[in-house]
Amino acid sequence: MAADENNLADRSGRLFESQKGYDPRVVLFYFIIATLLIVLTSGLAYQQLFNSELHTERESSQNQRRILIPGPRGNIYDRHGQLLVGNRPRFAVVLYLDELRAKFRAEFIRIRKNYRAAEDKDIPTADQLWTLARVSVVQSYLEQINAIIGRDLKVDSVRLNKHFSRELLLPYPLVEDLAPAEYARLLEHLPVVSPLQLYTTNTREYPFGSAASQTLGYVGINEDVEAENFPGEKLRTFKQRGSIGRDGLEFKFDAILQGEAGGSIFRVDPLGYRLRDAKPIESRLPTQGQNLVTSLDIDLQLAAEQAIGDQAGSAVAIDVRTGEVLTLANKPDYDLSKFTPRLSPEDAADIVARGAWTNNAIAGAYPPGSTFKILTSIAALRSGLVEANKPITECAGYIQIGNRTFVCDNGRGHHGEVLLPDAIAKSCDIYYYTAGRLMTPEVLAAEGRRFHLHQRTGIELPHETGRMVIPDPAYKEKEIGERWFPGDTANMSIGQGYVLVTPLEMACFAASVARNEVFTKPTLLHNPDAPTQRTESIGLTLAQRTALIDGMVGCTTYGTASKIMNLLPIPGVTIAGKTGTAQKRVKQGDKVVTINIAWFICFAPADKPEIAMAVAVEGDTGGESLEGGRVAAPIANAVLRKYFEKKNRPADQKLAPFKIE
Amino acid sequence: MPKRFDQARPFLTLGFVVAAWLVIPTVFKTFTRASFFELTAPVGVAASYARDLQEYWTLRLHSNSELIEAGRDLARLNASYDLAVQQNIEMQGEIARLEGILRLPSYAGYRSEHARVVRRDFSGWWQRLTIRKGKNYNLTVGAPVVFSGGVVGRVSEIFAYTATVDLISSQTVRLAAVVEGDTRPISYQGGLNPTFGSAGGVIEFVPLDIFASANATKRLVTSGLGGVFPPGLTIGSVIKVEPSTDGLFKSGVVKLDDRLAALTEVTVLLPLDTP
Repeated sequence: MAADENNLADRSGRLFESQKGYDPRVVLFYFIIATLLIVLTSGLAYQQLFNSELHTERESSQNQRRILIPGPRGNIYDRHGQLLVGNRPRFAVVLYLDELRAKFRAEFIRIRKNYRAAEDKDIPTADQLWTLARVSVVQSYLEQINAIIGRDLKVDSVRLNKHFSRELLLPYPLVEDLAPAEYARLLEHLPVVSPLQLYTTNTREYPFGSAASQTLGYVGINEDVEAENFPGEKLRTFKQRGSIGRDGLEFKFDAILQGEAGGSIFRVDPLGYRLRDAKPIESRLPTQGQNLVTSLDIDLQLAAEQAIGDQAGSAVAIDVRTGEVLTLANKPDYDLSKFTPRLSPEDAADIVARGAWTNNAIAGAYPPGSTFKILTSIAALRSGLVEANKPITECAGYIQIGNRTFVCDNGRGHHGEVLLPDAIAKSCDIYYYTAGRLMTPEVLAAEGRRFHLHQRTGIELPHETGRMVIPDPAYKEKEIGERWFPGDTANMSIGQGYVLVTPLEMACFAASVARNEVFTKPTLLHNPDAPTQRTESIGLTLAQRTALIDGMVGCTTYGTASKIMNLLPIPGVTIAGKTGTAQKRVKQGDKVVTINIAWFICFAPADKPEIAMAVAVEGDTGGESLEGGRVAAPIANAVLRKYFEKKNRPADQKLAPFKIE
Repeated sequence: MPKRFDQARPFLTLGFVVAAWLVIPTVFKTFTRASFFELTAPVGVAASYARDLQEYWTLRLHSNSELIEAGRDLARLNASYDLAVQQNIEMQGEIARLEGILRLPSYAGYRSEHARVVRRDFSGWWQRLTIRKGKNYNLTVGAPVVFSGGVVGRVSEIFAYTATVDLISSQTVRLAAVVEGDTRPISYQGGLNPTFGSAGGVIEFVPLDIFASANATKRLVTSGLGGVFPPGLTIGSVIKVEPSTDGLFKSGVVKLDDRLAALTEVTVLLPLDTP
């Protein structure tokens, strides 16, 4: 045995004997290996030094996830600080699915084991087993909630699967819109540390229901929330649904009202589950959007809407000095509270059926009727063809123009020889047919354009119509393809024919006349320090302006609007106004019928104007008689009454001017 | 080699114990832990009885005049309490009548179980008490615990003769509160409290129209809506509220009663349907 060992020891020297000399074939391998090592090192260096950003990015996108949470929208206030649109918290109980990986797996194994034990041949596929496991686990958590708040809720497996596959890192809502008592019970019964958590989202709240609904607008779901200056744009991102303005001020000022989204970036495992107890790499709280202070006065708005009632109509009130819109009422309207959390198809169909989507105060183009006589008066006076203190015709109830006979629709008799103030007060058509005949249509149209009645006002609302028309022969030739007749001038001079304006335009027109200027730029934004608007003067002499205003005051004291204004006088306030009744042909079913539009424009007090208004009420039945003095003037009266009632309140009951810093 | 093995023996033993602890069943571990508490509890209870005896002999040192004076004050106090109890009975009757008229659900009734405090743990880890009653008095986990100044906390663990109460200064305690005079429930939770500092908590989901400051505090009370605590019990004073960035709510800070750190006697409220 020992001899063998010695032999081995003797042989060992030979066994490890090195090769002497170099074999050229081995040297070749040295070069090959060295070259490969150089290539490898260079490649490694290249990847480390030049491609490091790419790899960091890939690593981040693989094991990091980004969650974005939208910020609540800003509030909308009226000019006195009354909340018109706010945010209502919605309490929910949610389940963080990404914390349940172990439970899902355990349940998966349990279910599979049960199937195998039962020797069921129709054992579900792995995907189906996973779905069953997830539903089972989530239902067990839901049972805890059911026991606490006394409900009997079941898991919606389709919704759960969708959430699991697309929004794993977002909390899965088990119960939404908890009642305060349910929320309180859950607060005390749920463990503080648990995958089940109480969660708050928010939704729009409208304290005044349908008030100013079309002006305020509504919001829709925003699936694509963005977070400016929040890192990780290239990471896989889970976004909670936010809201986006779809109409009205919500749409126009969406960028201001929109809150700043917050978010978090988490590390996840290869399956996308959040790492246990992992703190976010980045985190930012969502921030509420900026508030918006509108020029609206909710008390006047409510007064206008209540006065319009079930009729289809619009009422616009404007601060004469600044052009701030105090009221922009339109009926029919819709209840904004039905838009949260989302509008049901039934409610949407109802809005369509009632024609309530359109804000006719800005989108409805109507012939202005006799309210246009104020413009005709101004044009006639400025042209020098009509003098305020000289009659231009004698109203015999009708007049022949060309081969057509035009009648005086107002007064049910003959106005006789009237002067301009009386013609305005009593709305004598014959006087204005004559005045129109004395002028050219171009002069009248030019005056209309001077008051910007041919174009949009530019108010901060979407969908303001561009269908307003101040016609002239060129317009008729171009649009209708016919030449202009003297009868067209007659029609135009009383606000009929091709003339089309919006209620907002007429309110601006009334405010302009009140300021003795030609243009009022309306705005829905309140600025307590807003300067008085200054534009071009109308250009009437003092006597001419006095006659014009006297005529408008006469309208409310002894003229066409006197009945309602005398019945419900506003103490200490003289109103300058003008009524109008226009006809419009509309299609109702298969028939084309003529409906009336009752108008009233005004400003008050007549001697020192503060508020200007336009009211238009649309008839719904062909041939129905709607008079401006009977139908539209009472609406203006209600708003003016509220305005002066608020103004004359004792100082200690008034609200201070509202301003958000 | 043997010498090296000897040196490594403590580490091997430790490793073996850790490995054994990892593999032994959870039931055994739970039993061991519970047994530990049950075995050590008598020490705490005995110390508590010793303290009681100490207090007894301290009181024995008072003169007869002092005792007579204290007895007189106590008689007066009892008389005023008797009056308050009568008023309470009348008010409870009136509340029951109104609840009947308005068809409102009644709040759950409670049985009171008074208990001496055996031990107080105040640290960054624990904010809890051990009381001298447990399963022997049918205490239940989650039962509310109160004292004359308001809420103490909730029972978190029950042993044979003792129970652990998580104080409202503990982060593990959350309840539905209301600011006095308001009806909207808000979330109260114990805060991060230092070992020797004054105890506090935080409130969340506070409506925006609620204001409070150190100079104009608001009393925070239980809402009664949560189903655990009866309504109207004092939690603490709201000393600060500030709006959250999302503009939906405010959050705030609550200062708790300083007497929580020196409690000697508490009352466990047990729902009447508890056996």
